[in-house]
Amino acid sequence: MGLGAGAVGFGGLAACAPSASDDDSNASSGSSSTPTSGGEAQDFSFASWSLSEEAPKPVIEGLVGAFGMDAGVSISPVTYPYNEYLNQLTLQIRGGQFSGAAQVDVAWLGALAALGKLTDLSTFADGRGYTDAALQAGQYDGTQYGLPWTIGAIGLVTNTELMQQAGVTTTPTTIEDFEAMLRELKGLGDGIVPYAASTKVAQLKDILIWMQTFGSPLIENGQVTIGDDASIDAVTWYKKLYDDGLIAPDVDRFDARALFSQGRAVMYDDAIVGKSAVVGESPDPDFASKLDPISRPVVQDGDDPRALFWGHAIVVVDGEGSGTAAEFAQWVTSDEPTTVDFFEKLGLPPTTQAALDSDAVTGDAFTAAFSERVTATATVNPFWQFPQYAQMESAVAEQVQAVLVGSSSPADAMAAAGEAVQALI
Amino acid sequence: MTTSTRPSPPHTRPDEPARSRRRRRSPRDRLGPRISAWVAIVVFGAFALLPAYWLLATSLSPQDQVFQYPPSFFPGDITFEHYADLADNPDLFRYLVNSVIVSVVTAVLSVLVSAYMGYSFSKFRYRGRRSLMYLVLSSQMFPQALLLVTLYAVFSAYGLLNSYAALILSFTTFTLPLCVWMLKGFFDTIPDELIEAARVDGASRLRIIHSVVLPLSAPGLVAAGLFAFVRGWNDFIFALTLAGPDKQTLPPGLVNTFVGEAQTAWPQLMAASLVVSLPVVIGFIVLQRYLVGGITAGAVKG
Repeated sequence: MGLGAGAVGFGGLAACAPSASDDDSNASSGSSSTPTSGGEAQDFSFASWSLSEEAPKPVIEGLVGAFGMDAGVSISPVTYPYNEYLNQLTLQIRGGQFSGAAQVDVAWLGALAALGKLTDLSTFADGRGYTDAALQAGQYDGTQYGLPWTIGAIGLVTNTELMQQAGVTTTPTTIEDFEAMLRELKGLGDGIVPYAASTKVAQLKDILIWMQTFGSPLIENGQVTIGDDASIDAVTWYKKLYDDGLIAPDVDRFDARALFSQGRAVMYDDAIVGKSAVVGESPDPDFASKLDPISRPVVQDGDDPRALFWGHAIVVVDGEGSGTAAEFAQWVTSDEPTTVDFFEKLGLPPTTQAALDSDAVTGDAFTAAFSERVTATATVNPFWQFPQYAQMESAVAEQVQAVLVGSSSPADAMAAAGEAVQALI
Repeated sequence: MTTSTRPSPPHTRPDEPARSRRRRRSPRDRLGPRISAWVAIVVFGAFALLPAYWLLATSLSPQDQVFQYPPSFFPGDITFEHYADLADNPDLFRYLVNSVIVSVVTAVLSVLVSAYMGYSFSKFRYRGRRSLMYLVLSSQMFPQALLLVTLYAVFSAYGLLNSYAALILSFTTFTLPLCVWMLKGFFDTIPDELIEAARVDGASRLRIIHSVVLPLSAPGLVAAGLFAFVRGWNDFIFALTLAGPDKQTLPPGLVNTFVGEAQTAWPQLMAASLVVSLPVVIGFIVLQRYLVGGITAGAVKG
């Protein structure tokens, strides 16, 4: 059994792990309590995948140390690799082994909230100046379970140098123009991939944003809409790009970054966090200045471009020290000097209006362009409200893969995908 | 019924020894099989060693050349900075020490328990023996994810999480069944007459095991021990889940250190992987003569 398969199996089973105590029987769903801020500070744990990564580790350790010293408490670090983090955190929470603050991907809020151990942080969000979009990304089922730490979106990032070489001077706004531009970019030759779109099952969830672009809501009134005309049109178009060599086979996010950083792809989909990766891997020392985010094209002129929220929030798990942990979450995500400094060191956009308006953020051309052209119209993935969202995305990805390799028609595949996703709700 | 009309090979007699017949083959006849053998060795050698070479080449490449296009078989600019970086990371040494402790203890515990169990299955006849043997083996059939969650709950209840004991006990649950069967096969090849003779000389049962059977079974014990050691050394998901930050072993430790949300530090990861593989490779080289004999023992009886 491969590691990936094992991880999926483990993830499914992690939710079945027994709780360590009976105290949490009242917490079958949603919030169980609101922490009392202002009481005596208590020690707590802080879980973060960034605590083991080379670039953010010293920055976050500095933040943890500063808060701990100021509050006179000890903060125990807990860290797992990003790809294993949700499973491990779920197991820890269900087993009663973890209480305190935890960094989470905004996509995971639903899965964690379903455990019934997350704290409602609404009172900690009030009056802190978070943007509405950022607050929305930290909500699940109308409750503020996460305080937004860095919020952006996944959008199209281009290499301006290659665009100019191909003679592309204007950014396309419609799907039709976008496809025409890809054909022009194919003229660059030399094996350059016009658009390093995801075509491996592991990352084919990216097709969902194209389905929304074509007009499919994905889920409406509790009913899965995949299989409707819009989703079929989106997959049919994607297959055309694939067959015409405008996108490449066997590409996931890591492959796309590698192709893009080497100047072998003109554009790809990524979050703002990917910038440091592609710049670091590129042999071109001036590569950072050639990056330019563009809005995703739309079907009709005037439509809002679609983008998928991406970001990190901090949740608080009920238990010993959860009140102090909530204060830590509030401070680290909304204290202006702290968040601006965090942006300057790691390039991750802050979530309060004051920090976004700071010179440091507005003076960064890439971040400003990304916020304006991509993040501004971002929405959450409707699947994220379900704990089994990852299985739902996999079910769609497998069917899209079947279309790309020619073993199924778009209509049949999307009908099957819709049924599979509906069965998981 | 058909009658063979094929003539006898020239210059051979039916009673001539086969070895002598082989000697008379011409150099050209011998060249074909030799070339085939060498081609097979080269192909399989390349197949086995290419990943190791690629690991080495990547570890010696600067970060911005890892994904260069077209890929180069030989690193353009060789650098040792990724190896030097390892020395600056005290966590890696801690992971290494943890790996050595849990793998060695797992191997010793597995061999110790499975030697007695294997001997019992091999040399004693009692009611339920065969059922017990298959019961031991059937524990291998459980999905690992199921075992992991179960073990997590049990260790959590007994306060064993984040300890060496949790890792050693969980690894032993996988290694024990195969070690028992491996050693049973080995003990089957030891003639009962030897044991009978020791008994006639007045040796007790424990004396027979410790002074007669186990010394004769050294290759099997080494093979079983190496199998258990490697199982403990390579495990990722159990170590990640049960060990906690202080007792974490190399596989999750390396992933935690070098694989990030957006970026993987491939050259550093390859350098660390190469360095931490060396103890296992050296162990295999030193013990390979035991290993081959131990694994194949019991494969053919009589």
